[in-house]
Amino acid sequence: MTFRQARWDEPAVWDLAPIAPPEPAPAVAGLPERMRRKERLRWPELSELQVLRHYTRLSQMNFGIETSPYALGSCTMKYNPRVSEVLARRKGAAELHPNQPESTVQGALEILWRLERLLAKVTGLPEISLQPGAGAHGEYAALLMVRAYFRDQGQLERRTEVLLPDTAHGTNPASAAMAGFTTREIASKEGCVDLEALKAAVNDRTACFMLTNPNTAGLFESQILEIAETVHGAGGMLYYDGANLNAILGITHPGRMGFDVAHLNLHKTFATPHGGGGPGAGVLAAGEALGPYLPIPRIVKNGRKFRLDYDRPKSIGKIKSAYGNFGLDLRAYAFAISHGEAGLQHVARRSVLNSNYLGHRLGKSLPRPFRTLVKHEFLLSGTPLKAHGVRTLDLAKRLLDEGVHAPTIYFPAIVDEAIMIELPETESRRDLDEFASAFEQAVNDTPENLHAAPQHLAVKRVDEVRAAREPILSWKDVRRRTPNHEKAGPVPSVP
Amino acid sequence: MARWIPDEAGEEAGLLEALGIPSVDSLFADVPKKARIGRLGIAAGLEEPEVVAHIDKILERNRPLSKFSNFLGGRISSRYVPAAVDSILQRSEFYTSYTPYQPEASQGMLRTLFEFQSLWVELTGLDAANASLYDGATASGEAMLLCRRLHEGHRFLVPASLPWEEKSVLRNYAVGPGLTVEEIPFDPRTGNLDLEFVRTAVRSHDVFGLLADVPNGFGHVDEGLWDLKGLLGDVPLVVSADPLALTVLEPPGNYGADVVVGEGQGFGIAPSYGGPLLGLFACRREHLRLTPGRIVGATVDADGAPAYSLTLQTREQHIRRSRATSNICTNQGLMAVAFVVYASVVGPRGLAALQVALAEKARTLASALGGIEGVQAPRFEAPYLGEFTIELSHTSEETFLDRLRRRRILGGVPLHDPRPGTPAAPARILVAATDTATEKDIQKYARAARAAAAGGSA
Repeated sequence: MTFRQARWDEPAVWDLAPIAPPEPAPAVAGLPERMRRKERLRWPELSELQVLRHYTRLSQMNFGIETSPYALGSCTMKYNPRVSEVLARRKGAAELHPNQPESTVQGALEILWRLERLLAKVTGLPEISLQPGAGAHGEYAALLMVRAYFRDQGQLERRTEVLLPDTAHGTNPASAAMAGFTTREIASKEGCVDLEALKAAVNDRTACFMLTNPNTAGLFESQILEIAETVHGAGGMLYYDGANLNAILGITHPGRMGFDVAHLNLHKTFATPHGGGGPGAGVLAAGEALGPYLPIPRIVKNGRKFRLDYDRPKSIGKIKSAYGNFGLDLRAYAFAISHGEAGLQHVARRSVLNSNYLGHRLGKSLPRPFRTLVKHEFLLSGTPLKAHGVRTLDLAKRLLDEGVHAPTIYFPAIVDEAIMIELPETESRRDLDEFASAFEQAVNDTPENLHAAPQHLAVKRVDEVRAAREPILSWKDVRRRTPNHEKAGPVPSVP
Repeated sequence: MARWIPDEAGEEAGLLEALGIPSVDSLFADVPKKARIGRLGIAAGLEEPEVVAHIDKILERNRPLSKFSNFLGGRISSRYVPAAVDSILQRSEFYTSYTPYQPEASQGMLRTLFEFQSLWVELTGLDAANASLYDGATASGEAMLLCRRLHEGHRFLVPASLPWEEKSVLRNYAVGPGLTVEEIPFDPRTGNLDLEFVRTAVRSHDVFGLLADVPNGFGHVDEGLWDLKGLLGDVPLVVSADPLALTVLEPPGNYGADVVVGEGQGFGIAPSYGGPLLGLFACRREHLRLTPGRIVGATVDADGAPAYSLTLQTREQHIRRSRATSNICTNQGLMAVAFVVYASVVGPRGLAALQVALAEKARTLASALGGIEGVQAPRFEAPYLGEFTIELSHTSEETFLDRLRRRRILGGVPLHDPRPGTPAAPARILVAATDTATEKDIQKYARAARAAAAGGSA
């Protein structure tokens, strides 16, 4: 496949029209002089078409799921159903203020309540809150719940440690530290939790063990029941990072595996759009012990009526404004009811089939560090390429030239030159084969070509080191560094 | 069931054959029997028309804002969103793309986020902005944690008038490091911060930061903000500011703010029952490496041509893990696009004119409600923009608002903390002059308020 990305010489938005000379902002009656803005906001005056053309051109210099498959492991980049976009924009969904009286938002509460009940079944954990803004936010809230629980048990002074495998997502240790815990990594054995190491690590200081299953090596932790027994035996809580839930929908669930609390990423498993980095929606699911600590308000159903319940004395309180990302909850609900019982299981089965198929084929190009029966994603190691002076990064850039998004790279850290690939259930065999061909071509390409990649995108290889060394982070920085900027022409010049 | 999984039966057979296995079941051999579940116990899948019909039927139980004379505001706005904004958000290259970790494939998003950061810098008068946080409240939480990295101490001061939700979120961000969120009393006449309290607190040497909001939780502009940095000295100052207000208000960077956060939803994002929102965050250059969240920077490509990438990533969780400045990963990228496209479509003059018009409308509203028996409007004697607080003396805010609702008026946001056991507080309501409220709506509100504010049951 020949791929050429659009390459517009598009100026920055502030270079599309001359900026008016400084003038005072209009006065609001009664405002004290020193609180008044002395100079009007510095931003261009543009016509609607100028704005649309600008951002449309910029958008054409970006991959999206409708232009390219995203092989990003642990990100579950699947098709975002268009119907969900239409539904989320209905007046009855978009035009609701969170402070409207409950009697005027019964439909919104019903959607949230129905999604909660559905997710309770999917997770096997009965108590749900949709409040957190994303996965990491859900982790943080859950760890606050764990803290509050141990405080009530009189064990908080002692239980200060969160354990995690060395393959954990970076958010896990970051959330634990933010919640005031110390963290300890357990070394993996052949890509999975080393049960003996875990047994040696748990004790009466253990607050929680955070685990992703399937894990970030794409492997199902087959000893999960023993892991749960070990953590519970030491009086700790078992936390489920739901980033990889896609692989086990309808096959098993956190409740059955023995987890006490979980977060889900609706923007992964439940197909809400990633939005170029967000918004996400992190769902909290908790069992009996931690349920009372979930954020308020909770949604309660009385007969046909729904209400927000603030009377939860053990709740940690609020973790975010309002009730979560309702617009995304609605999209996730549409996704879930479209698939239904059989469909959700089929999601898991096809995503696992795709991953095993692709792993089988690409395993002929590069070594697979662990066992080959994988779930939603699989790992390769780019180590053999190093002999030719080629790094995994070069391979990733070369793939972009074929119009496919690169895999997750250099993660997990336990694998040298890690390449983590996930092409979920919405990718067809044709797309898998095209990706595989692109990958094989890239692996076999010359070091020169690999180093020079990409060639067919809006820009060549981007100098990220320079970006960090002398940060230029805004128009203000651009002006500061190039005093003649206004005269210098349309493209922001970087010295 | 929707056709979201390609040619299920036909393709699967081929994939299985290539793998040399008889059935997908064998791919789950590693899931122990005891860990398996039978059925989820949810309904069978629906076709697209059925999904639409089902959800539309539920949504019919909502009464959208346009059915009312609407005076709801606070941190979340129902301002009109020009059609052009949403048309850009529906570009699938924006809304379906991933975090721009691969800059070469993501210049469009990176450049748009760079423009977004630039806009928040221009509005706040600070040096640098990140590429968004979850919402205004969590941005305040992150700002508090940044203050603690900059200054010793355990006490973080916030206005007692801060919305209860934000106080609760802040307290949750204070749990880990064991910090205390302490409330600054307000002057009972003006609602302004008690600066004497601040002065005394700072002398304790245990205050590591202070957050003030503009407009404040009562909707007013507190001139005392100008004097805060003088009182605080090297204790960091966080200002939580409304972006539209900043088109007519002095940028907080000019009166000593070290961090400016805000809720950006009012710029091009529908209220959607409170989410998704947009957390805004700007800081001083010297504090950059201690800040949370993704940041986009300008650089060059291999040919020396201008290019953009995420930068200063060594602060972040995927690299620094337990020593990261924050755990945040997914942020509000698409909402940041809405913010900058909205501002560009409306333009700097249009934005300021909008704020001026809302402020004038609020004055009309205040004089219409003023003088009604049982309603003090505005309750506080301080300047305001588009919102102010009223206080009821004969009735509770629930009764008052419910009586208005029956006349198709959404009368405002009650300010009390709804949690049981919260100490009794005066019946106060934050009332907003929204862009859709007409002169007729205002007169209707005044008429209805006259009856609704009376004591006894209606």
